Amino acid sequence: MSATKKLRVVHYINQFYAGIGGEEKADHKPEIREGVVGPGVALKAVFGNDAEITHTVICGDGYFNENLETAKKELISMIKGANPDLFVAGPAFNAGRYGVACGTICDLVQKELGIATVSGMYRENPGVDMYKKDVYIIETNNSAVDMKNAAPKMAKLGLKLARKEEIGASIEEGYLPGMSRINFFDYARGSKRAVDMLLKKLAGQPFVTEYPMPDFDRVEPGKPIKDMKKATIALVTSGGIVPKGNPDHIESSSASKYGEYDIKGVNDLTEKTHETAHGGYDPLYANQDSDRVLPVDVLRDLEKEGKIGKLHNLFYTTTGNGTSIKNSREFAAEFAQKLVAAKVDAVILTST
Amino acid sequence: MKFILTNNPLVKTKLGNSIKIEFCDVSLHQILLLTRDYIHKGYKLLSHPLSGSIKPNETLYKSIMLDANIEKLDMQSLSIIENSIMLAKNFADRDIKIMQQHKDDMMTVDLSIISGRL
Amino acid sequence: MNLELGYIKIKDIKFADKAEVKNGVLSVSKKDLEKIILEDENFTAVDFDIAKPGESVRITPVKDVIEPRCKVSGGGDIFPGVVSKVHTVGTGRTHVLSGMAVVTTGAIVGFQEGIIDMSGVGADYTPFSKTLNLCINFTPKKGLHTHTYEESLRKAGLKVAYHLGKLGKDVKPDEIKSYEYLPMMQSAKKYPNLPRVGYVQMLQSQGLLHDTYVYGVDMKQSLTTMISPLEIFDGAILSGNCVSACDKNTTYHHQNNPVIEDLFEQHGKTINFCAMIITNENVFLADKIRSSDWTAKIVSHLDLDGVIISQEGFGNPDTDLIMNCKKVEGVGVKTVIITDEYAGREGTSQSLADADPAADAVVTGGNANQVITLPKLDKVIGTLDYTDKIAGGFKGSLNKKDGTITVEIQAITGATNELGFNKLSAR
Repeated sequence: MSATKKLRVVHYINQFYAGIGGEEKADHKPEIREGVVGPGVALKAVFGNDAEITHTVICGDGYFNENLETAKKELISMIKGANPDLFVAGPAFNAGRYGVACGTICDLVQKELGIATVSGMYRENPGVDMYKKDVYIIETNNSAVDMKNAAPKMAKLGLKLARKEEIGASIEEGYLPGMSRINFFDYARGSKRAVDMLLKKLAGQPFVTEYPMPDFDRVEPGKPIKDMKKATIALVTSGGIVPKGNPDHIESSSASKYGEYDIKGVNDLTEKTHETAHGGYDPLYANQDSDRVLPVDVLRDLEKEGKIGKLHNLFYTTTGNGTSIKNSREFAAEFAQKLVAAKVDAVILTST
Repeated sequence: MKFILTNNPLVKTKLGNSIKIEFCDVSLHQILLLTRDYIHKGYKLLSHPLSGSIKPNETLYKSIMLDANIEKLDMQSLSIIENSIMLAKNFADRDIKIMQQHKDDMMTVDLSIISGRL
Repeated sequence: MNLELGYIKIKDIKFADKAEVKNGVLSVSKKDLEKIILEDENFTAVDFDIAKPGESVRITPVKDVIEPRCKVSGGGDIFPGVVSKVHTVGTGRTHVLSGMAVVTTGAIVGFQEGIIDMSGVGADYTPFSKTLNLCINFTPKKGLHTHTYEESLRKAGLKVAYHLGKLGKDVKPDEIKSYEYLPMMQSAKKYPNLPRVGYVQMLQSQGLLHDTYVYGVDMKQSLTTMISPLEIFDGAILSGNCVSACDKNTTYHHQNNPVIEDLFEQHGKTINFCAMIITNENVFLADKIRSSDWTAKIVSHLDLDGVIISQEGFGNPDTDLIMNCKKVEGVGVKTVIITDEYAGREGTSQSLADADPAADAVVTGGNANQVITLPKLDKVIGTLDYTDKIAGGFKGSLNKKDGTITVEIQAITGATNELGFNKLSAR
């Protein structure tokens, strides 16, 4: 491929790598500069004549995480304006907030602008678990010393993605497993690989499984309720039920917030009072009668019949549609405290 | 009481005298979903829903043995049926017509697999 | 127990009046073989063909692949309990016609599967593109019942391989490999400082077209039991498995079980390979629970440090695999499991029908749903009639214009083998 055009690349880094400062400058607002800044030099060297870093986008890690919605909007508009063929973020190595920012912005650039992206992180960076299924993340070591290894891999994979070439298996390209499973011919036949792996396992040495089992996030069940007749029950849903008009603008997917709504004196959710904000299922039946997702009517009946003590007067809601595990955990951790404070005994959690 | 949930007419004919048959003229995928419904109601799987190596988008027939009268949800059965439904979805629709001779073969294989315990 | 395998490298196969192995060339007498095959009244006719590596040839649908072997010394005979009398094998000396295979073809059921391409991209995915293949196509009697047809076809292939193997009895092998398999206490004494390692082989055992025979016994009727790996080199385990071409073990796979070979490779150096256990993959959950309980009991009783567990087939056996793994890990024995994946064409879905955190060391034979386009090849041995009917095929699989075939690799014989026969993997 001699006559391929030089690709345009936008590079994302945080305030630290831009040389602006450390934690004290973490509130640095998004800015865009022409050309290469900081670690971009290493990328520029490996891109050679194939691509050019036309712009570098810089944002403070603190600013990004604390002003998520604004930061996302500002950054997307800057990146769009630079009209890149490829977007490269980081590498973030083991910096947690930086990694999450790299993952978030790559995911957004892919989805909203349709532009190929690549990032780089250490395998324990929290950004990996959040984005390994959506973003190609080159595996790096846990310190910036590894830039010399990471840069060529990020550049090579980035070019392939931008040119829509066939992507090899994670182990060949160096990205963290989580994207699609891709076949390739390994160093030895499977039986030999099994013996090699067993020898390592027997010796107590580290080994890497070829197929990581799906994630098991198991939660210990709570203790049974002794007397339901006295229990206060709350309703929580990821089915997106909100008061008509969605007053807090909970997103139809990838929710960044949850809602807390009062149902004191409400015996039935109707077409006039409630609806769903969820964008991942046909909303028709939920909009007709939101009790189908958040069963207020049935719980009121049970309350009247004396089968439960009472229904808690607030319910919590978000859309589970593509919402990151990280966000979900944070939401729950927050409103769980409120439920405990309100002396709620049990929660019915409905999903769709 | 044990019974076989099936969409295989041959199972109905051949095994009808030895065990209760719940025959449903539906697709293989629907048999899997009906099995899950039974498990939700407290029934227990006796045979594996993805029995046989003939792929779920390849054969038309599926027979699954279930047992009734257990008191609570059988988590192992639920886990197996959910995983089976998920894996079966990995096989794309093939959009092909199947000749009667092939249907007969598929019924025979399914019958052989489910009658292993009778 | 000790066994010597003498490998006679076959460099060419030709048809001739006199059957013999001379200077690495196997001469096959069609007449002799025809006589052997047509002894079985279920066949009315038989054809032979030869396919060589690199040729523009496609063999399909494949029933079984078998390597000709012959007993030179030691007790018993090849394929005990099926072709020869029931008698323990696995000692003395066995000769192997290596670099070749007997490939039986024929549509037992209308959706019979298995493609072997001798050249082109498909050849990379099947080990049998590298062997000289004597292909046999059978014509069954009309109206033959499926069960009977399968049995006749299975036995005919074995009889032919047995007969051809005999031609190597007095030929000097090009290479001899010696294997040592000692009684428990002796091996423990001889290798006191090496970890004690075993092999748990799961055998397909679900019913018609899904069976495996051990000394002639249908494995679904057996409890988990022990066997010497050397018995397997002499054909103690035979394939009656005709479905899921990519991850079924043909008889050839059993005869050349790579887990056994690679464990022996380390035996006496880094490990003491001292036990082999065979278990089944029945469809009834009670059987699964019982068989995996027994696997763990035996592994524990033998005081092993680690085992490799290999699977065969799709779906149902995933549950057996995970049960075996979990229970063996549960008795404190380290495991590595070998499987393959059905992660969808995009490779983004869950790969197995079961999972457990105990399965932390997995080797994969690759994603069987990967789509591949096979080139048009000049000659077809068998028939392409079933191409869109087979597993991995779909409407329009066979491109009528250019003769190419687009299928998932699950259609290719041995492509994602779960004994770890191939280099193919996925990440």
